[in-house]
Amino acid sequence: MVSMNAVLLISFLLWSVGVAGVLIRRNALVILMCVELMLNAANLNFIAFARQSGTVHGQAIALLVMGFAAAEVAVGLALVVALYRRKGNIQVDEINLLKG
Amino acid sequence: MEQLLINLGQNMFVLFGLLAAGGAGVLIFSKSAVHSVIGFLFSMICVAGCFLSLQAEFLGVAQLLVYAGGIVVLFLFVVMLVELTKYQEKGIFQTQTKFAIPLVGLGLLVFGGLFRSALFGASAPEALTLQPGLVGAAESLGNAQAVSRGLFANFLLPFEILSVILLVALVGAIVLAKSERV
Repeated sequence: MVSMNAVLLISFLLWSVGVAGVLIRRNALVILMCVELMLNAANLNFIAFARQSGTVHGQAIALLVMGFAAAEVAVGLALVVALYRRKGNIQVDEINLLKG
Repeated sequence: MEQLLINLGQNMFVLFGLLAAGGAGVLIFSKSAVHSVIGFLFSMICVAGCFLSLQAEFLGVAQLLVYAGGIVVLFLFVVMLVELTKYQEKGIFQTQTKFAIPLVGLGLLVFGGLFRSALFGASAPEALTLQPGLVGAAESLGNAQAVSRGLFANFLLPFEILSVILLVALVGAIVLAKSERV
C-alpha cells in the first residue's frame, strides 16, 4: 500500500523541478512544459488525498485539472507561435516590449 | 521476497515517481528542445504509472491519452514550427540564475525542515497511511464508473464550465496563431 509520505515527497520533487524550470530556463516552450509538470504534481496530490478520504472527488477534480491544462497548453502554444512571428525568437529574457 | 510483494504498490509508486523526476530533470537540463520534449513525454508516462499504482486506473489512462497522445504532439509540432537551432549556442539558462541559486538553496532548507517535521514526526504514520480502498458507494464499482459518478453527480457545473473554457481556448488559440497578413 502506498504511503502518503511517498506521494507527498514525489509530488514535492516534481513540483520543485517544475518551479526550477520556470525560474531558470529561457525557452518559452520549456517553461510551458514545466508548468505542466507542476499541474501534474498537484494531480498526484489530489488523487492521493482522494484515496485518503475514501471518495472519488479528488479524482474528478484531477480530471478537471487535466482539461484546464490542455486548454492552457493550446493558448500558450498559440502565444509562442504569435511571439515567434512577431519577434523572431522565443527566449523570454529578450522579450522587453513592456520595458518602456 | 514476500515483503517485497506486499510492498509492491509502494515500490512501483516510488520507482515511477523517481523516474518521472528524472524525466523532468532531462526536461530542464537538456540543450535541445526536442530532447526536452522527450524528457517531458517520459515524465508524463511515469506519472501515469504513479496514477495506476495509486489505483486510479481511469485517470492513468486519461493521462496517457491527454498528455502522451495530445499535448506532447502539440509541443513537438511547435518545436518543429519555431526554429530553435540558432539559439542553442547562447546558453539555456537565464542571466539571473547565479542570484537565484542561493535563494533556491535557502528554500530547499526551509522546505526540507518542514517536510521532515511534518512527514516523519512522531504522529505522522497513523495519520498519513492511505486507506486500502474506496469506501461507500464507490466500493463495488470500477474506478471509471466511480469517477464518472462523482464527476456527473457532484461536479456537473465545473464540467460544463470546463467544456466552455476548452471551446474558448480553442477559438482563442486559432485567433492568436492566425497570421495577420493572410
